Amino acid sequence: MAEYKLLTKDFGIEGLQTLPVYERTGGYQGLRKALRDFTPEALIEEVKTSQIRGRGGAGFPTGMKWSFLPKDVFPRYLCCNADESEPGCFKDRYLIDESPHQLVEGLLIAAYALQVQHAFVYIRGEYHDQRILLEQAVEEARAAGYIGTGILGSDFGCDVIVHGGAGAYICGEETALISSLEGNRGEPRLKPPFPAVKGLYGKPTVVNNVETLCNLPHIVNNGGEWFAGIGAEKSRGTRLWCCSGHIEKPGVYEMELGRPIRELFEEHCGGMWKGRTLKAFQPGGGSMQVLLPEHIDLPLDMDAVMKAGSSLGAGAMMFMDETTCLVNVSMRLVDFYQHESCGKCAPCREGTYFESDLMHKLEAGRATAEELATLTDICDNMNGKCFCPLGDTATWFVMSAYKAFRDEFESHVGAGQCPVQARNRAASVAA
Amino acid sequence: MTLSAEVRQAIQRHKDRYPHPKSAILPALWEVQHAEAYVSPEGMRLVAEVLGVAASDVQGVATFYSMYFQKPPGRHSLLVCVNAACALRGADETAAYIERKLGTPPGTTTADGAFTWDATIECLGGCGYAPMMQIDHHFHENLTPDKIDHILERVGGEPAPHEGHAAPSTPSAPSGGGKPPKRRR
Amino acid sequence: MSDASTPPQTPDDGLVGVSIDGKEVRVAKGTLVLDAASAVGVHIPIYCAHPKMDPVAVCRMCLVQIEKMPKQQPACATIVQEGMVVHTATDAVAKTREGVLEFLLLNHPLDCPVCDRGGECDLQDFTLRYGPESSRFPITDKVHFDKAVPLSDKIELDQERCILCWRCVRYYDEITGEKEIVLQQRGVQTAVATFNSEPLTSDFQGNLPEICPVGALTHRQYRFKARPWDLQRTKSVCPECSYGCNVSIDSRELEVMRFASRDNPFVDDMWLCDRGRYSATSWNDTTRVRRAAIRHKSGDTREVQHAEAVASAAAQIKRVVDQHGPTAVGFLASPQSTNEELWLFQRIARQLIGTPHIDHQLDAFPDLSGAEHELGIAETEECNAVVVLGPEPEANAPVLTLRLHKAETKKGVRVLRVDATADAAQLASDVAGLALVGVIADEGDRTRAAEVAGALARTNTLVKRLTITRGVNGRGAKDLGVLPNLLPGYRPAQRGGKTGREILQAAAAGQIKALVLLGGGHFADAAGELMLTALRAVDVALAIETRPGVVADNAGVVIPGHAYVEKAGSVTNVEGRVQRIRQALPPATRTPLETFVLMMLATDLGAEDWGKSDPLSVNHAMCAEIPAYRQAGNGGRAIFSGAGVA
Repeated sequence: MAEYKLLTKDFGIEGLQTLPVYERTGGYQGLRKALRDFTPEALIEEVKTSQIRGRGGAGFPTGMKWSFLPKDVFPRYLCCNADESEPGCFKDRYLIDESPHQLVEGLLIAAYALQVQHAFVYIRGEYHDQRILLEQAVEEARAAGYIGTGILGSDFGCDVIVHGGAGAYICGEETALISSLEGNRGEPRLKPPFPAVKGLYGKPTVVNNVETLCNLPHIVNNGGEWFAGIGAEKSRGTRLWCCSGHIEKPGVYEMELGRPIRELFEEHCGGMWKGRTLKAFQPGGGSMQVLLPEHIDLPLDMDAVMKAGSSLGAGAMMFMDETTCLVNVSMRLVDFYQHESCGKCAPCREGTYFESDLMHKLEAGRATAEELATLTDICDNMNGKCFCPLGDTATWFVMSAYKAFRDEFESHVGAGQCPVQARNRAASVAA
Repeated sequence: MTLSAEVRQAIQRHKDRYPHPKSAILPALWEVQHAEAYVSPEGMRLVAEVLGVAASDVQGVATFYSMYFQKPPGRHSLLVCVNAACALRGADETAAYIERKLGTPPGTTTADGAFTWDATIECLGGCGYAPMMQIDHHFHENLTPDKIDHILERVGGEPAPHEGHAAPSTPSAPSGGGKPPKRRR
Repeated sequence: MSDASTPPQTPDDGLVGVSIDGKEVRVAKGTLVLDAASAVGVHIPIYCAHPKMDPVAVCRMCLVQIEKMPKQQPACATIVQEGMVVHTATDAVAKTREGVLEFLLLNHPLDCPVCDRGGECDLQDFTLRYGPESSRFPITDKVHFDKAVPLSDKIELDQERCILCWRCVRYYDEITGEKEIVLQQRGVQTAVATFNSEPLTSDFQGNLPEICPVGALTHRQYRFKARPWDLQRTKSVCPECSYGCNVSIDSRELEVMRFASRDNPFVDDMWLCDRGRYSATSWNDTTRVRRAAIRHKSGDTREVQHAEAVASAAAQIKRVVDQHGPTAVGFLASPQSTNEELWLFQRIARQLIGTPHIDHQLDAFPDLSGAEHELGIAETEECNAVVVLGPEPEANAPVLTLRLHKAETKKGVRVLRVDATADAAQLASDVAGLALVGVIADEGDRTRAAEVAGALARTNTLVKRLTITRGVNGRGAKDLGVLPNLLPGYRPAQRGGKTGREILQAAAAGQIKALVLLGGGHFADAAGELMLTALRAVDVALAIETRPGVVADNAGVVIPGHAYVEKAGSVTNVEGRVQRIRQALPPATRTPLETFVLMMLATDLGAEDWGKSDPLSVNHAMCAEIPAYRQAGNGGRAIFSGAGVA
């Protein structure tokens, strides 16, 4: 089986969540090495050498993001984005559940590189048990001298604050996360200024994803060049794939980037359930465009998937079998964005509401052909017009599904019911 | 219920953790919700007072996030995810089963006050283990009718989880303010 | 700085060149695309953008195409760059506007016919100009909110009409700092609201309906009262205090419907206080002195034409002068009078009668000089620190509070609000070394203010003072020498006269035999019994009086005056800004304006060739005599710093 375990190599070891066990598996050696062998500048260079790109969705090179911080402006802040709320994504939860110290270590390495004295973990409110785990890990690390002043005898000091959210997908957007962390409504902010220049409390701020940070101990331990040797040309390292839907074995699997999606689908996920066939799949998470069986041999490579019209996003893979109604799936994703729209800008606030209204009619077979045309038009009026990506992405899946499954969408018009589900019911009666 | 000195002290402790006091609004509101089961006006006023911010700002924040209750809920909160990934694996049937078991539609509280429940479109991060639900923030996954029967019976008899960190769980749609949009599905 | 041999392609003038719909313009660095477009006459529709508040770019109405940028950009939040090419007249932008309007109208009710804002609503106007012909959204699926929620005794909120532009929220955040209105809930449920639905308490609520681009926030005072197209809008100055906020007196037929703000960035910065704004309808009180009358000592009262009343008064005053000399005549004018009235009043007293007994207030103002009015209102933003003595300045000129907030939060000015009895030496050490410090005090604390300013000035700091005068034209009365010790322009009088109270006391004691009162009712409460005793004791009292009361009921000769909103002329605000007021309502009396009456009196008292009597002509004559007023013109500041100290 083509697996490459880097972040998840020790997962499953009894008690890995505790400091002694994590240390026995080599834990905090990366932090030791970073403090001992690297200046902050050299550490940033090492991360640049690794070519690692952010794991939160946008895939921006982490080293470059770090180097945008203006020199000599202090204090600076680091926020770990653990507000994982993208439909289909649950890898950050897995990383924290299995090895909270790996994240804490990565966070401290980044904090050292960026010379940050306050590092935050913004974890979504629904991840209550994960927050407790992280808080325990932070306390253990503090007691052991990994957090606090003069860490491991160096002159570097850093505090780590675990900050629980309270139910808002939008807080995964970095400026909304910063607003929320400041104690405001989690609404995104105007860019520019970018967080690297003016972020938390108006100071230079870096926001990194959980998985990105979890890679850092490995990059420091093994070297940036070693890391750059893993994975595909412009997508280095491994990624955790959140596999869900109509597959035999849903779950999180770590795989080297650049391997074909088919390998993930067949070898890890065990292919479609109940002997059924693949109709479509959505990579990246609820925001991303639908892909078809013909795309299953694409490599797990950010640029290759982008070229095919979608994105690897935050590492989700939702597989759908032939009984799936794409209108129904689209409706749910549209409902999600309607529910999670922060309401700041008109096209997202009102557009998602309009979209949702139309999708429910269409799904129930009550929409007219004119209303289906309206759907396309209002998606066009939203896409690229919203304040932040939430409103834009609220149109991506539904529009890609409409394009790929035009017949299916049109067959709902005036049908009085969902024709796909009617067909499914008829088939189950016949069987 | 009056807010005890302990709640005030807990808010003060959160305030002291952050570089800026306002950052402690969310954890402070959790303290209020743990004590009062929801974010009461008195609680919001207390948060404002301890953190030195405007009470209006505290309420603006409290009503933005879906996990703070704006009205007192039942003893336990139960959320079933019905977003796409869960729906592919039968979340609608799970929700319907729970509705029959609890005898009350989504978005309501059971007659005995044991559960406030909803079928939420918000992804809870359990897509790989669907169908799933959260009760008082704890994940219950790979649900089957038997499993649901067992869980509801066990949890329904327990008191509300108010000590420690356990906060009541998520209402799916904010209530209060405007009237909620018409319910679908 | 560029090499002389290679001239720069763009002039180094601190400006950037930008093209908007093919029109080239050079604008200052940091200019927003929205403002650059406006400079070349390209209209970009906005809802959330507001000239007095920071951009938020939430309504998306102002999205425009900018070359080399993949997405349309909000003109309200995009700063122009050299060489930027902006397009607003493309099909894509037109479609965006149509789309945004459809979204904004999605959950907006169709109640324009009963909405106070109808006719002056940006949502109506832009829908007509840029919007879709009809909405594709079913009316049955609209989200409903509470309508007609009273936010206070002044403001009503209709949440359904709200388009969530955030202006009211930002107003409370940025302009007043009071944070009374916030956003609650989220997504399509988002609504503006107060904490726990508690009533607004701000003193500046009336600005909310004006900044609201739709009919969500409305004045309860004006609810269902009038349609904007039926209103006659008269440019004037708020009569409630001496700060001089510019207002539009919006009237319909014989009634004032409301005061609306007119942005004067030097004075009000477009904000009014509620006390001023909601005083609007008080002018509809028609309890008036309507006819001239001559009252004999016996109590017999005879209604006469105003000319006869003036002639009778003049004859009686002349008799007093003949029998007892000019110092037996006292002149007292209210600070609610216009500059033109006060100018004539002062000339009559000093030039025709020759009495020094003239005042516009009851008590003495020693050491008054132009120097205490040096600091401009807007100039507070340029100070390094501003010392405010006691709560009175802001209580008596409320809009000052908003200017101080702006200076503090947007310009980084230190605002020190101190007790009027604060230790001057301590204050001086607090601000020592700062380049420019303002000292603001109520005129009741002007002696203290002088001490503080003196102490501050000794720390090598430039100190400028602003004194908050009383009455809409208390400042004009001082400038124009309606004072016992100062002539117009703060020139010392050769012979000091009696103060207002002393005049009344002398009248009551029989030393002053004739009184000329312009708006004397203004002093009735403060003077108490003294006013009545004085009126009864004198041989003749001429009162130009607008409302019935102790003065109108007891003066020997009464001539109807005009209410402020019925008059034309000019008034001068605390900082010396001379601003025109115009007639908003037809007068409730047939008697001519005060300037005509005063000129008739002057003529009857022997004036020769004083020129025309209409307010504008009197204004010209006044400006010819007082250089500071000539320089101020209409809307400028009359500066008297350095003018002589009595």
